[in-house]
Amino acid sequence: MVATDEELVAKSMAGDVESFNQLVLRWERPIYALAYRVIGRDEDARDVAQETFLRAFRALPGFKGQAKFSSWLYRIALNLCRDWIRRKKRTPLVEMPEGVDVVELASEQGPVESIEDLVARQEMSRIVAEGMQKLPDEQRTAIVLKEYHGLTFQEIADLQGCPLSTVKTRLYQGLTVLRRHLESQGHDSYMSNREP
Amino acid sequence: MSIKFTCDDKATLIAYLYGDIDPVARQAVDDHVAGCAACSAEVTALGHVRSELGLWAPPEAELDFQIVKKSQSQPATVLRPARWWNTVPGWTQAAAAVLVMAAGLSIANLQIKSGPDGFTVSTGWLTTASPAANQPADGTAAEQRFERALVSLEQQLRTEIRAAREQAAPVASRAAVDEATIRRVQQLINEAEQRHERALAARFVEFTRDVNLQRRADLMNISRVVGSYDEQLMRQRQMLNNVIRVSNNQQ
Repeated sequence: MVATDEELVAKSMAGDVESFNQLVLRWERPIYALAYRVIGRDEDARDVAQETFLRAFRALPGFKGQAKFSSWLYRIALNLCRDWIRRKKRTPLVEMPEGVDVVELASEQGPVESIEDLVARQEMSRIVAEGMQKLPDEQRTAIVLKEYHGLTFQEIADLQGCPLSTVKTRLYQGLTVLRRHLESQGHDSYMSNREP
Repeated sequence: MSIKFTCDDKATLIAYLYGDIDPVARQAVDDHVAGCAACSAEVTALGHVRSELGLWAPPEAELDFQIVKKSQSQPATVLRPARWWNTVPGWTQAAAAVLVMAAGLSIANLQIKSGPDGFTVSTGWLTTASPAANQPADGTAAEQRFERALVSLEQQLRTEIRAAREQAAPVASRAAVDEATIRRVQQLINEAEQRHERALAARFVEFTRDVNLQRRADLMNISRVVGSYDEQLMRQRQMLNNVIRVSNNQQ
């Protein structure tokens, strides 16, 4: 039977490092993905993810369990991302390693998807990444947390430290900017091709 | 109680878009969107944006983070087989050295004589060291005492060495354990090498497949670009033909 986060946290707090490593294994991918989408650099996203778990491990005795363990991790990771952006004093850069994307998409889609579709998906992924890069930090983070991590509006509001209505406004404004960006890149024709 | 949805209520629109809305409000948005082309178009467009966002995936990074407590990590220890001289006490070794030296001294004055009784071999400092030695005197008594002391020392040493050997028995078993450890380590190294080779082969196959995919994608892009150039060229030719035709007609 798979142990819950709460059980593993309790064991970790009792000094069982192996239990904490199970939590790391469970959450390293989502935390890395969050960091990558927020700051946009692979190497830095790895560093942020690693630092997140290190800080979580050190701060574990102070974790009272008011929030979910994952929310607590997200908060640490987002703070680190914010620090990173502030320290670098630059807009997050989204890297789109073109060669890698095709391969990844191929492995995800299997042999059924044609090369044309692969190329189109790769191109669309690049355009989306560019659009995300244009968004202000708060809007991008809100979209990442909602779209890719499935957090509720309230959870995002707690993480971002803002009212719930502000989260919805950030989402609306961010999606609208992305919509305009996609349209300016000729995304309409792609969409019409994909529609059944 | 019914709720009225208006076009500028973007917060409710977002909640509707993400399906995080109560049924009454959902019904209100449904009713409004059914009759408002602008809001209907916006909901559709934002829905498309959301589906496009799903295409953006981070790289498949191998992370394998692990917390390692320093207090638990022990430095690697190389086990060595025990040597017998490491287990014999130092004083026993010194005594053995004295015995060897005494034995050396006893044979140091080796003499071989031939006489009417055949060859006579004699050793030791005292037996032939001086003519007085042939006489039964205090010299003979001293020699006998020395020999007795030597025999006693020899027996004592034998006893000590036997005891030391008995103590060394566990050492032999430890050596056997060390040997088993070395065999185990060797086996682990072999297994790791085999795993590495298999992983390398798998990577190679994967790499080859990836290169082929990338090559095909590049070719597709190139052919697409070339196709667009051909199309432009064709258009320019048609335009040129039209110009020539018009100019011919005017003449």
